Amino acid sequence: MKIKRIYKSTMFLKSIFVVSIFAIFFISAVTYKHINILNNSSKWVNHSYDVNLELERLFSYLKDSETGQRGFLITKDSSFLKPYIESKEKIIKSFALVKVYTKSNPDQEQNIRKLEFYLSKKQNYLSASMQLAHTKPVTDHALKEKLVIGKITMDSIRIQINEMILLEKNLLKNREISYTDTIKVTPVFVYITLLITLVLISISYVRISKDLDKLKMSNNSLAVMNESNNLAEIVGNFGSWQLNVDSKEYTFSDNSYRLLGFQPQSFFASQENFLNHIHTEDRSSFSTANEQMLLDGYLAPFTYRIIREDKKVRYFRTTARIVTNKSGDEILIGTTSDVTDEVLVSLSLEQQNLELEASNKELSAFNYVASHDLQEPLRKIQTFVSRLSDKEYNNLSQSGKEFMGRINNSVERMRILIDDLLQYSRTTKIEKVFEESDLNELLENAKSDTQQTIDEKKAIIQSEKLPQMMVIPFQIQQLFANLIGNSLKYSKDSVAPQIKITCSKVIAEEEDQVPKNTKEKFYKITFIDNGIGFEQEYAEKIFILFNRLHNKNEYAGTGIGLAICKKIVENHKGFIFAAAKPDVGATFTIYLPE
Amino acid sequence: MDKDYIHIILADDDEDDRMLFTDAFGELRINTKVNTFNDGVELMDYLNTPDAILPNVLFLDLNMPKKNGIECLYEIKQNSRFNDIAIAIFSTSSSEEHIEETFVQGANIYIKKPSDFTTLKKVLSDVVTINWQYHTSGLNRDNFLLRL
Repeated sequence: MKIKRIYKSTMFLKSIFVVSIFAIFFISAVTYKHINILNNSSKWVNHSYDVNLELERLFSYLKDSETGQRGFLITKDSSFLKPYIESKEKIIKSFALVKVYTKSNPDQEQNIRKLEFYLSKKQNYLSASMQLAHTKPVTDHALKEKLVIGKITMDSIRIQINEMILLEKNLLKNREISYTDTIKVTPVFVYITLLITLVLISISYVRISKDLDKLKMSNNSLAVMNESNNLAEIVGNFGSWQLNVDSKEYTFSDNSYRLLGFQPQSFFASQENFLNHIHTEDRSSFSTANEQMLLDGYLAPFTYRIIREDKKVRYFRTTARIVTNKSGDEILIGTTSDVTDEVLVSLSLEQQNLELEASNKELSAFNYVASHDLQEPLRKIQTFVSRLSDKEYNNLSQSGKEFMGRINNSVERMRILIDDLLQYSRTTKIEKVFEESDLNELLENAKSDTQQTIDEKKAIIQSEKLPQMMVIPFQIQQLFANLIGNSLKYSKDSVAPQIKITCSKVIAEEEDQVPKNTKEKFYKITFIDNGIGFEQEYAEKIFILFNRLHNKNEYAGTGIGLAICKKIVENHKGFIFAAAKPDVGATFTIYLPE
Repeated sequence: MDKDYIHIILADDDEDDRMLFTDAFGELRINTKVNTFNDGVELMDYLNTPDAILPNVLFLDLNMPKKNGIECLYEIKQNSRFNDIAIAIFSTSSSEEHIEETFVQGANIYIKKPSDFTTLKKVLSDVVTINWQYHTSGLNRDNFLLRL
């Protein structure tokens, strides 16, 4: 992993480049050195050959002078002296040259001194013997001696010169060897370096190639994504923008301009230009939010109004966040969307709600007041009818009495109807005050409300212990009263009504009837009677307002009682269900949440 | 009280109710003196006159113009001079709020106006013959609403 990371880093490429440069410099240095060595080498070869040549020449000149001397000795002819004199000069010159050539080498210098010694010795003996030869014959003892010594000296010279030549040849050989050695190593060295450099360059090339390809691909997909983004903005009715925090440059997307009602990029992207389009009332809050955004690096969705190019007011919502890109720049990225529809719908809903609430309140009030005020005249009618009955009963004819009876009945029915309506309107009143109440007490109250009928019918009411709960007391009392009242009303003629009230605690999901499937706890209170019952198929209908299963001649009633019960139970977020068997009895089950 | 008749006052804006009320007492065998007033202002004006004869029982209707029953009740209870008056609220309304309010303000009993003359007579007779000394010491919410 680490190697791969090194491989991928840009530093790697740069370092390869530097290393390659150095390698090239190194190679050129080595090559330069190599050429120098070559140069020197050939110079030395020439030098050695020069020396040897010169030495041979010197020897040759010596031989010439010896030959001259020999000739003269033999013939005593002075023409042989010419080569002798000529070569004398040449010898001097040649020797001087050799001396120059061999200056650098200490060994050769030693040899030169020796040679010089022999040379001068030879020259001396040559000239001495020449002198003697002038006057004496060849066989002269002194002359012979001189000649012999001369010959020995010549031998020494020869040996010396040979030595010098050999030395020079050795030197040459050594130089050759060292040269070959150097030559042998250098190319290998250079080739290795070259190879390494080539490898490095190949790696870089491969890397750069791959990078370029990747870049191309990125650019391609970027272009496509850009386009897709633009389209998304058009469809989604939003625009995006960017702000480079350091350079303070803004970029607005094409659709941002369109949202404002302009052509894309039709004005310079800047904060002031955008502010110009914001509704005057929202400008200051927008500016504040903007400043805060620059500090926090984040703008939570902020809603404000703008005025579009066509002078229409639109609602915009903007949200933004800071991101840091790969080059280390901080870019603030934001999205603005046109939420006018949403806002207007929400506003109109709110408006509708308020209206509905007001309307409901009015209706409720109306309901209440109407019922209440309707009761007054009715009460009067009843009272006066009853007075009339009492006072004038004997003065009335038969039909008169009958008429009075019917009037009374109708009025009574109306009164009960209004009473029930009043009750109903009370249960729908909006302010509901929950109190911790003892349901047993409420049950007792309900019983005393209907005490008269209980006594009349000799009804027996048994109840289990009821809990204490948070309820609207008068409503629960009403609920119990209505249920008891019903059981009493719809009792069998000949049988004393028996009402059994049970209570238990249950869990929502275990009760089939309860539509909730949760672990919520409910109190299950049942009212079971032995009255006339009803067909199970009407079990849900009977809770509907004004719905009755009997006509008014069979059983009095307004069809409101059970509707009121249902409303009360709903106010307490509970449920009520009815079950019955005709001629056996009815069971009303109430579920109230704990 | 020790008088030989029971002094009763009704404050009610409804003419019929006033008539029924007076007639009812007329038919009862109790020795009563009944006075009626048309609204709260008239009632308080009478009660506040320095030498007015105070009633034993005051029947107060709730819905009256100018000054309603609750305002009267409040005023009466403020004045210690009226401490011996038994106050019966006599109203068509049976709303919880009214019952609650009048109980809290110190009325002695709450009566819903009956719709039957005979019942009316019985109710009035019951109320008037209660020995108020014993009744008022309880201030029991349960006994507050007159049940037939």
